[in-house]
Amino acid sequence: MDNASHILTLISSVTLEKPWGIDIPNYFWFTGSSAAAFIISSFAHVFGWKQYKPIAGVSLLMAFVLLVAAPLNLIDDLRQPGRILNFFLYGWENFPTSPMKWGVLLLMSYPILIFFEAQSLYRVYFVKQAQKSQGMTKLFNTLLAFGNMDLSQEAQEKDHKKGYILGAIGIPLALSVHGYTGYILGAVHANVMWHTPLMPIIFLASAMVSGTGLLIILIPLFQRFLSERKRVDTDMVATLARLLAWFIVADLVMRFLWLTFSLTFANEEKYALYRFFELHFEDTFWIDYVLCLFIPMIIGFTKLRYMPFVVYFGGIITAIGVWIFRWNTVIGGQEIPRTTAGFLHYSPPIFGQDSIIAIVSNWGILVALICAVLLVFPWDEEMNDCYKGDSHAK
Amino acid sequence: MNVKDSRRSFLKQGFGIAALASFSVTSSYAFSLQNPGRDRADAKYVGDKTKHYVMVLDLRKCIGCQACTSVCKVENEVPEGAFRTFVTETELGEFPDVRKAFLPQLCNHCDEPSCVAVCPTGATFKRKDGIVVVDNQICWGCGYCISACPYDKRYFNAKTKTADKCNFCAGRVDQGLLPACVETCVGGARVFGDANDKTSEVSKLLSHFSTTVLKKAQGTRPQNFYISLDARLEELLETTQSLDDIVKANEGFKSEWSKIKTEVPYHG
Repeated sequence: MDNASHILTLISSVTLEKPWGIDIPNYFWFTGSSAAAFIISSFAHVFGWKQYKPIAGVSLLMAFVLLVAAPLNLIDDLRQPGRILNFFLYGWENFPTSPMKWGVLLLMSYPILIFFEAQSLYRVYFVKQAQKSQGMTKLFNTLLAFGNMDLSQEAQEKDHKKGYILGAIGIPLALSVHGYTGYILGAVHANVMWHTPLMPIIFLASAMVSGTGLLIILIPLFQRFLSERKRVDTDMVATLARLLAWFIVADLVMRFLWLTFSLTFANEEKYALYRFFELHFEDTFWIDYVLCLFIPMIIGFTKLRYMPFVVYFGGIITAIGVWIFRWNTVIGGQEIPRTTAGFLHYSPPIFGQDSIIAIVSNWGILVALICAVLLVFPWDEEMNDCYKGDSHAK
Repeated sequence: MNVKDSRRSFLKQGFGIAALASFSVTSSYAFSLQNPGRDRADAKYVGDKTKHYVMVLDLRKCIGCQACTSVCKVENEVPEGAFRTFVTETELGEFPDVRKAFLPQLCNHCDEPSCVAVCPTGATFKRKDGIVVVDNQICWGCGYCISACPYDKRYFNAKTKTADKCNFCAGRVDQGLLPACVETCVGGARVFGDANDKTSEVSKLLSHFSTTVLKKAQGTRPQNFYISLDARLEELLETTQSLDDIVKANEGFKSEWSKIKTEVPYHG
């Protein structure tokens, strides 16, 4: 190789365009954070860990909205979005070898499951609201209770059991809905950065990090400004920060395994990766690892996690850090040359399809959806009941 | 046969026929394993199953004139900025012992195409005569095949808004003509034909010369065979530095990558 560079010089070739832009890392971030929020809600609903109970409902709702907003990125990425039906009609012979085929099925079933789980969690509250109200509000809440107005202990037990079963089915589904995105990249054997069996696990580990980071910011916001309590449960935030620190440990272990094997013990591909990480050393090491992983990990493991703004900083910086990691993987992987010499360069357009505006709009939709579910679902009462240890709260 | 039996058999047959009919309707129109064109066994989609088309590229004869590049763009109406085939031009050696080397590249029509395996709509597939094609009426433009191709031989067609690629000029081949690039190749470096036919020129070349394929380790079983391919050429294509960057660094221009080194520590 060393010799090749001295005796060979490229005179002319074509510059290629790569297919995936800014929509894809954003999509991966959304599904990952959704999976993490779901797992955290399952801590209470399935594993019965009491300390997570008060935030389990809100986490579930966040998992729902993140996953409703996520596929919009994919639709924006399609060059022929009008042909979505073709996906369902044709090409089923590729099902075993095309992770994208698995993904769309997961993307459809998972939000439906979350919705039904949330419905069983909040049914009692819908019934109560329906009883208190008149006209449209009554009708709306009756509909959300699926017409089941029974408030007896047995009926509540039944809801609880339904929630438990859906939560238990949801755990592998949540892991798959994000794990498959790792498969999407890992299956591309032509890409030296993506092609590792660790990719789904790395994606899951970093997803837990971004999702927990996001909850550390959102839950205090909801508690402080939108709930009746009007104050933040700092112990809860500290618990989440400690959980985040452990997820960061898992993420770092996965990335350590990945990088040691692909940079040291790999075949030919290690040279390209070595060069890539050399070029990106400063931003990868200082921003992605030190600022966005090590510092939040220290916050989570020390008393710093009880200091409100320090812990919020830790949360937001990990969420951003994982977004950067998604970007570095999806965009960085495509920048590595495979048939033309020299790294390719990508910067997203500001307007149009697959652009910065498209991503901002997607975040706008997420915020709108968060507002909508917080209005529709009586999360505040349920959270209060959990804090009070009320029997309605599961 | 009593009434009950005949009714039973009528029902049995009736259900059988109905089930069969609904299955066949389902498989060809509603939920297809493949796509409508292939389900209809349309000749354009299926090709001639007795043939197996391959290309032999004799690099000793390539002079880097880019006639293939331009004729392909005209023949297939390839939009600006995209190429189905092109010839990479390189310099070998150091002054005064230098020569030029050319590497014509196009879709390898792999026997195990990774682009086809990942297609979620069945829009891209391998015909029975070995040609890998894209159905631009079905493709939804997700770009997965473009990512999956180890040879970077797919692109988004700005006109059709679908993935597109070399199809060995399937329309011409079906009419008994040669692909445009083969027809126009001034040095006769590109040879196209049926590898199943032992008397064809490609079969003879394949048996008389040692040939090699690009990126064998990808496991895609490429069907373009190169005579006299210098292994260093392939290395250069994967190198991480472009001449452009080196010149920029030498001349003190602001380069796209801030840390370009002229020393070239490893791999280009």
